Amino acid sequence: MILTELKKGEKATILNLSGTTELVQQRLLDLGITEGEEVCYKCALPFGGPCMLEVCGQCIGLRRREAKEIQVVRT
Amino acid sequence: MEVALLGNPNTGKTSLFNELTGSYEYVGNWTGVTVDKKVGTLKKQIGQLIDLPGVYALNPISKDEGIASQYLLENRCTSTLNIVDASGLSRNLHLTIQLLEFGKPLVIGLNMVDVAKSRGIAIDVHQLSEELNVPVLPIIARTGKGCRDILDYFSLENQHVSHFSIDYGEKIEKAIENISDLLHEEQLNHRWLALQLLQGNQIVLDHIKTNKGIDLERIQRIIQELDKQIEEVEKCSLARAIYSKRKQIINDILEKVITKEKNSDRTFTDIIDSIVTNKFLGIPIFLSIMYFIFHMTFNWIGTPVSDWLDGFFSGSLSEWIGQGLQAVHATPFIRALILNGLIAGVGGVIVFVPQMIVLFFFISLIEDSGYMARVALVMDRIMQVAGLNGKSFIPLVIGFGCNIPGIMASRSIEQPKERLITVLITPLMSCSARLAVYSLFAGAFFAEYQALVVLSLYVLGVILALVMAKVFSFFLKHEHSVFIVELPPYRVPNAKTLFRSTWDKSKGFVKKATTFILGGTVVIWLLSYAGPHGLNVNIDQSFLALVCGYIAPLVAPLGFGTWQAGTALVSGFLAKEAVVSTMSIVYHAPHSGTLTGVISQAFTPLQAYTFMVFSLLYIPCLSTVPAIYKEVGTRKLTWFTVMYCVALAYIVSLVIYQVGRLMGF
Ligand SMILES: Nc1nc2c(ncn2[C@@H]2O[C@H](COP(=O)(O)OP(=O)(O)O)[C@@H](O)[C@H]2O)c(=O)[nH]1
Ligand SMILES: [Mg+2]
Repeated sequence: MILTELKKGEKATILNLSGTTELVQQRLLDLGITEGEEVCYKCALPFGGPCMLEVCGQCIGLRRREAKEIQVVRT
Repeated sequence: MEVALLGNPNTGKTSLFNELTGSYEYVGNWTGVTVDKKVGTLKKQIGQLIDLPGVYALNPISKDEGIASQYLLENRCTSTLNIVDASGLSRNLHLTIQLLEFGKPLVIGLNMVDVAKSRGIAIDVHQLSEELNVPVLPIIARTGKGCRDILDYFSLENQHVSHFSIDYGEKIEKAIENISDLLHEEQLNHRWLALQLLQGNQIVLDHIKTNKGIDLERIQRIIQELDKQIEEVEKCSLARAIYSKRKQIINDILEKVITKEKNSDRTFTDIIDSIVTNKFLGIPIFLSIMYFIFHMTFNWIGTPVSDWLDGFFSGSLSEWIGQGLQAVHATPFIRALILNGLIAGVGGVIVFVPQMIVLFFFISLIEDSGYMARVALVMDRIMQVAGLNGKSFIPLVIGFGCNIPGIMASRSIEQPKERLITVLITPLMSCSARLAVYSLFAGAFFAEYQALVVLSLYVLGVILALVMAKVFSFFLKHEHSVFIVELPPYRVPNAKTLFRSTWDKSKGFVKKATTFILGGTVVIWLLSYAGPHGLNVNIDQSFLALVCGYIAPLVAPLGFGTWQAGTALVSGFLAKEAVVSTMSIVYHAPHSGTLTGVISQAFTPLQAYTFMVFSLLYIPCLSTVPAIYKEVGTRKLTWFTVMYCVALAYIVSLVIYQVGRLMGF
């Protein structure tokens, strides 16, 4: 399943990041977001706005379009 | 000795820098506060400390990150101080490893131990130091705890050079060896250079290119070959393979070093975030906060104090100085210069200091609390419509204080196109100097609705900026827009930081008033005092009136075709607050009462509003122009920025004035 299908507050493990663009992938790695890490989908802003994630105790904001490219599995 | 201060963004590098050098540089709780190299002298004069923009890795994406890598390549530092956020070790150590590989003496400042502790993370400092084979000093940069140890450490004669090295596996090691052999011309650590090249670090590659003695083609062939092999065997890119290896080592180390008591309560940050980034409330809350800030600035605190100061300047102070001058038998010329020129002009600007302090205080509060990154998040959707991303909104908010740091803050935006557009539109932000103009006019014409009228100008600036951004984006090459922002935990702002940051921002304004504006005021006054028929002429016959009379017809369609307004606008190019100091002089007549009184007779409310709009937009001030040049890189684009502002101001003011007139205002 993809990240944005999670419900608010749900947790999942990241399976695959390779769908995102090179630049986004590098930034995600910089922030410690990699395959195998647990991610919590915290909320999303309206009208297709960005969403908020928590990974390794660290919150980040990410465009929904990018988040849709991240594959996860519910834990 | 030159010590480089490196670490991930927002880990407290600048706080430590201030602590160790006793200076004040800009501190804030979001990524991208420091965007330039800052040099300071370590206490006890033991050497220089260089504060650098935060980086996650030495392979830069944005422009500010490039500055840090570039600095390392200059090979000037004698040792490195790596600040590591104790509450996010696993991420921070990636940079640490790369710095260890860099091969200069290194010491780790383990910062934010207070935050780690409150999250139930216990770190075995001794073990960490053992694992990495470098000294680790726990500190709290914010309060200065432990910072002495760092100073003491640097006072030591021989510093520890680490021998920390990761085994990246047979294939990669072989390639490192082969590349290193080709690099013997280089001063910098070969293994480090080789690894950075393998990771695809563009800045290192550019650096190698400048060294003619190196066989670049062979290096690139080695890299390509290895890349292919790794792709086949491990099904991932070479850079990724190196990253994974480091991550594995980090996990092994942390296993031994960290003990974490699980506590998964909703933190303070979670609770606030569930409100301020709420689906429906996010944007309304942001707008309410802005409105509240203006209300504080104008109606509740700023204006009353400013009014009192104004009364003091034009009343008691002028009287005392007048009497003093009389007592020392000063000539009428000197008396007029001081009373009608300096006190009216400089005083006219200084009276707005209280309002500015209030505004700066709130901007600092937003910066230091951690709300800034949330603003970027909440505004992203709107910014996307304008062809930008939420991070572009941060320079705009900072631009409310002063356009120059706003323009510089754009460096942390990843995409070159979005960065350029952000620089182009930031001069449309209503900076605090423009606030002086609004205060004067809004106070004279719209006393009851001051906060609302002023807010409308700020909003107008933002809306026009977004419209222009959209227009510009049509003319630039399309790039995939990205938006990733780190949302730091909220921190209760530190009183000391808040105070210093407010003062630091206000200081510039006071300094400008007492140097630049003072000089300009004297010139303007002299021009208004002298005319073709000698000195002490009627002001309408002065040189000033004659020369600026030519400008008046140009701006007449906008409703303020007087030479006084023309003069004010010309000097406003030097600094926006000079509009006010100039008006104080040109409208200054003995016994005419306060400036507000004179102005409310010289303009109609519609003209006043149009004048404010024009002042908001018409040109970036003189000190902003070099900042724009530095970011856009070409003269042509700098000229373009200045000229489009003039054109935009003219068109918008024209529309407002003419439509307003038709509507009967
Ligand atoms: N709780 C806590 N906060 C800190 C500490 N050091 C810095 N901060 C805060 O962290 C934020 C970022 O600091 P700054 O020095 O600008 O970080 P830089 O981006 O690395 O230069 C500021 O809000 C500081 O007040 C610390 O040891 N403990
Ligand atoms: Mg900093």
